Amino acid sequence: MNLLSVRREVGEFRKRYKWMVLFVLVAMSTIMGRLFQLQIMQNARWQVEAERNITKVVRLPATRGIIRDYKGRIIAQNRPAYNVYVTPQLVGEEQLNALAELLSLDADAKQRFAKRMESVPARRRSHFVLAFNDITRDQYAAIETHRRELPGLNVVATPVRSYPFKALGAHTIGFLNEVSAEDLKRLTGLGYGAGQSVGRSGVERAWESYLRGKDGELRVVVDVQGQELDGTPHRVAQHAVREEPTPGLDLRVTLDMDMMRAAERAFRGQPSGGVAVVDIKTGRVRALYSKPGYDLNEMGGGLSELRAKELFENPFRPLIDKTTYETYFPGSTFKPISAIAALQDSIMTPSVHYDCPGYYELGQRRFRCSHVHGDTDMREAITQSCNVYFYKLAEQVGIDRIAAYAREFGLGQKTGLGINTEASGFVPTRDWYAKNHNNKYHLGFTLNTAIGQGDTRVTLIQLAMLYSAIASGGALYVPQLVERVEQADGSIVEEFPPRVRRHINVDPVHIALIKQGLLGVVNDREGTAYEARVEGGVIVAGKTGTAEVSKHKLNPREDPRREWYNRRAHSWFAGFAPADNPELAIAVIVEHGGQGGKFAAPIATSVLQDALGGGDPNKNKPLLISKKP
Amino acid sequence: MALRRGFQDHFDWPLFVTTAAISVVGVINLYSASSAAGGALRDVYIQQIYWLTLGAGAAVLVAAVDYRHFERFGWVAYGVGITLLVLVFLLAREIRGSQRWIPIGSFSLQPSELMKLFFIIALAKHLHNDPRTEGRTLKDLIIPGLILLFPLMLILAQPDLGTALILVFVFCTIMVLTHLKFRSLATLVVTLAASAPMAWEYLLKDYQRERVTSFLNPEKDVLGSGWHAYQAKVAIGSGGILGKGFLQGTQNQHKFLPDQHSDFPFPVWAEEHGFLGSVVLIMLYMVLVLWGIKIASEAKDRFGAVVAVGVSALIFWQTVINLGMVCGLLPVVGITLPLFSYGGSSVLTIMAGIGLLMNVSMRRFHF
Repeated sequence: MNLLSVRREVGEFRKRYKWMVLFVLVAMSTIMGRLFQLQIMQNARWQVEAERNITKVVRLPATRGIIRDYKGRIIAQNRPAYNVYVTPQLVGEEQLNALAELLSLDADAKQRFAKRMESVPARRRSHFVLAFNDITRDQYAAIETHRRELPGLNVVATPVRSYPFKALGAHTIGFLNEVSAEDLKRLTGLGYGAGQSVGRSGVERAWESYLRGKDGELRVVVDVQGQELDGTPHRVAQHAVREEPTPGLDLRVTLDMDMMRAAERAFRGQPSGGVAVVDIKTGRVRALYSKPGYDLNEMGGGLSELRAKELFENPFRPLIDKTTYETYFPGSTFKPISAIAALQDSIMTPSVHYDCPGYYELGQRRFRCSHVHGDTDMREAITQSCNVYFYKLAEQVGIDRIAAYAREFGLGQKTGLGINTEASGFVPTRDWYAKNHNNKYHLGFTLNTAIGQGDTRVTLIQLAMLYSAIASGGALYVPQLVERVEQADGSIVEEFPPRVRRHINVDPVHIALIKQGLLGVVNDREGTAYEARVEGGVIVAGKTGTAEVSKHKLNPREDPRREWYNRRAHSWFAGFAPADNPELAIAVIVEHGGQGGKFAAPIATSVLQDALGGGDPNKNKPLLISKKP
Repeated sequence: MALRRGFQDHFDWPLFVTTAAISVVGVINLYSASSAAGGALRDVYIQQIYWLTLGAGAAVLVAAVDYRHFERFGWVAYGVGITLLVLVFLLAREIRGSQRWIPIGSFSLQPSELMKLFFIIALAKHLHNDPRTEGRTLKDLIIPGLILLFPLMLILAQPDLGTALILVFVFCTIMVLTHLKFRSLATLVVTLAASAPMAWEYLLKDYQRERVTSFLNPEKDVLGSGWHAYQAKVAIGSGGILGKGFLQGTQNQHKFLPDQHSDFPFPVWAEEHGFLGSVVLIMLYMVLVLWGIKIASEAKDRFGAVVAVGVSALIFWQTVINLGMVCGLLPVVGITLPLFSYGGSSVLTIMAGIGLLMNVSMRRFHF
């Protein structure tokens, strides 16, 4: 054994061992401490994390409620759109090519898709990501056939909104589009997520919470690749959950799409304007037509940049709701208010006569009338729209009394329609004029106000409600747009009765006189809308208006070539029918149309005739060359 | 005759039982770790059994020969190790950006694993033949330093940061046994600290630097380079006290654990067997390491003591770094968990190391 040398100088090492043991104990204890922290103290947190890892949530969109008009015709419904979801992690070159072929994408679209898949952040790569929106049925069929070859791909049928009436009533009905980041902030806690739609305007927006319903979700168990796992039933049973969506509620709106059609038809030849029709006995809105409109079906998200630009730059402003958002000078349609102010406060009697020489002189200024009316009483002044009569009336009544009645009839305040951004309009007072004109009120303001010029501004719906109140003898309603909320089976969830805003205290005798005047407008030979009457049809009463547009306030960006158009007066008609037992009140504006009697009034009588008289009474008569008597 | 009597009288049962326990638990865990994987990985647990058997044979051989023969052939072993490391560059296939394996038939040998033992033996021989007890100076560190340097450079060049790190840690542990003068120690520490930024800049690869930064700032990039570490933490943490049950770990079964058979077998265990299972396993490693130190302390000569400390240090550092890494205490480096991770060369090396411990243990009553 001398081959193997023995050296025993191990004593030097001895003192080190206990330090080593100590070090080992400390190190191992540290690890165990860490495990204690992870596995026992933070257990709940990591369990959630592990659970989240293996669950993939697929949203099951709720069906949005259907909107019907008051006769039950569908205004807004849902159709299935097939959306393709892919798991970016599983989309390789091969899958990309296959998908491009199945969807018959061109090279450009394919590249855009590839780029989009690349840009998906890492944390979402194992999740379903929306790849294609609303593919065609052919594309859908192609994908379904080759489903097996495309792992991590899912086609989800999502209901999308469809509007059979397209552009008709677009502003009132409204549309949906995808929620923005701002919306998400505003709507936190309501279950909105990226990629979902939210009502953007009109009824769709205002009644969002009823229409929307509640999304369901499907949780599937997946592995790290995002692949669904089968063959592990006990674990799937533990995690896979299907929560069915709750469909949204249906709405029955008060609109009558026939009447909307009639308004559209009556408006042909005029590029821009609006019609509002309300039911006098209930305040229910039967028509709100704003021209030009836009096709609701294209607003849902597929709006191309070019089309959006077109809409924005169209000089007839299709995006503006001319029934509730835009305000106008009421022009002569305002005169009944001045008359009521004079009569009700006993300033004048209807039998007072004035002579109209065609103008009225006040100091240095000469206020014009449309022509020489001669000797007129109040009824005639309304029928013939004599400005001079109302100048003289205004002198006695005063601006504040007129303003008070204007407000009483709902001007200067929102009507409470409840959709979109409603304008309040404006009713000027003596104080307001003083404040805004260097403390110098003068009588001219009052004269202008009495005939609906000056600074009074109204919306179409306000005017319709005002004439409805006149027709009903003083009942000012809140315009109502939604009649009831229903479930899919038709059972009623909630019903909204008509709401009277206030009963205006006006002597029926005075109302009767005003109505006489209004009847004359359309039916007397001297009436300003006599030309617009429908021979043998429904008898309409109403008032024309020709609202001068301000000559000074032209938008500097406006195309000078359009100046002749933009400076032409707005054409008004407001009234009701049938004259003896009023059912419907109407307000029509033809923007820059010119004289009220010539342009707005025929539209109004045509719509009312269609609605109440069953169409044109002369339509079925043999065609004769008429000779004017 | 002496051999048989030694085996009968002095067989180190605690060492054997602990090793066997870890190996068996490791195989069971590998079965679970690979059950979710498809293809070739599916039966790594069977291969692991083969390797363990082979390793046990190697251990018996290593234990049977009196370790003083190893001392005599220390330089030879060292030379063989270095040669193999050089051969790696000539023969190796590149796998995942580094050359570590020499293909032998259908197997591949990882010389850097074997080098760990050859290195311990060489260092032990040097210290054995330099029996001073007075304080050492930096000059005395030159030869041990060189013994470390050659394999270290070759391994770093592969590059295999994990193994290189283990080599350095084992070296330091062994050198702690000897008495270094305070001034020398101070100089060493200051020099190393000063050169650390240089190493960061020139020695580490981009992906290695990324791992360190992502360790220091784990929330920053959960799905990038921090993914492994994060998913390991999820697995461990979600295990709770008792675990999710054998084959029931969702992190493992749903493949959220990367490399669950090589670098990350512990999260599989911790997820399925919880805190209690983890503590039992860690206790086993602790017993093994402490028992190794006990063997060292009872060794009759310096060579035996250094070898025992070296092997214990090897097991200790691999265990601590691997566990520290998977539970988020240390950055991710490719270091396997002894006898728990799948890997032929790794199992063979550790088993042979256990053989060395057994050898030293059995011969503490001799000569």
